Amino acid sequence: MTHVDRRVRLAILERFAETGEAPTAADVAAAIGEYEGVVAEAYSRLADARLLVLGTGTRDIWMAHPFSAVPTGFRVETERGSSYANCVWDALGIPAMLGTDARIETTCADCGESLELRVRGGDLEPLDWVAHFAVPAARWWDDIGHT
Amino acid sequence: MLAFRSEAHAGSWCRERGIARGAVFTAEQAWALARGWYEGRLDPAWRRRTPEEAERIFASAGLTGPFWRLV
Repeated sequence: MTHVDRRVRLAILERFAETGEAPTAADVAAAIGEYEGVVAEAYSRLADARLLVLGTGTRDIWMAHPFSAVPTGFRVETERGSSYANCVWDALGIPAMLGTDARIETTCADCGESLELRVRGGDLEPLDWVAHFAVPAARWWDDIGHT
Repeated sequence: MLAFRSEAHAGSWCRERGIARGAVFTAEQAWALARGWYEGRLDPAWRRRTPEEAERIFASAGLTGPFWRLV
């Protein structure tokens, strides 16, 4: 990863944490004082390195793990803002990454019953639920939208 | 990775879709996995983990076996 790639990666995550939305290359360029074209090239390199997932044929961010640019069934509120995660792992990953408390709204994927998870002071509650991965780890990137 | 009220709900979800059951694990393990995976990601020096490092994080959450193998 180049120096620019590192700055772009961080700026994307910080922007997601604050706004819940994916920044464009122009947004990031303004935030870090770089040319938009330089940032756009960094987006491509970060996607090649699987540190971003871009929309097919675009430079629009779809995922910057743990954040999702599109609404999902995993909404996360922290003191910094509201955002969407890609899955329940990523939903828990947002407070883990930010070091903050959080409230996570999701549902049981089977019955649709609401599951509200809270992270407080580094502890998760409630704990009376389970997680399920359908796809083995070695195949996650075959289709990162379905794991 | 989805959340379910119980292991029985996860099994029901798989059966209804005709897909093989994958890995089911506890909320404590999911939280340990999230912390191991995402803590430190805002460090400017953070880098993508090697498959070996990723497996160690899985194992630290008690997630071992062929399903979690990357190397």
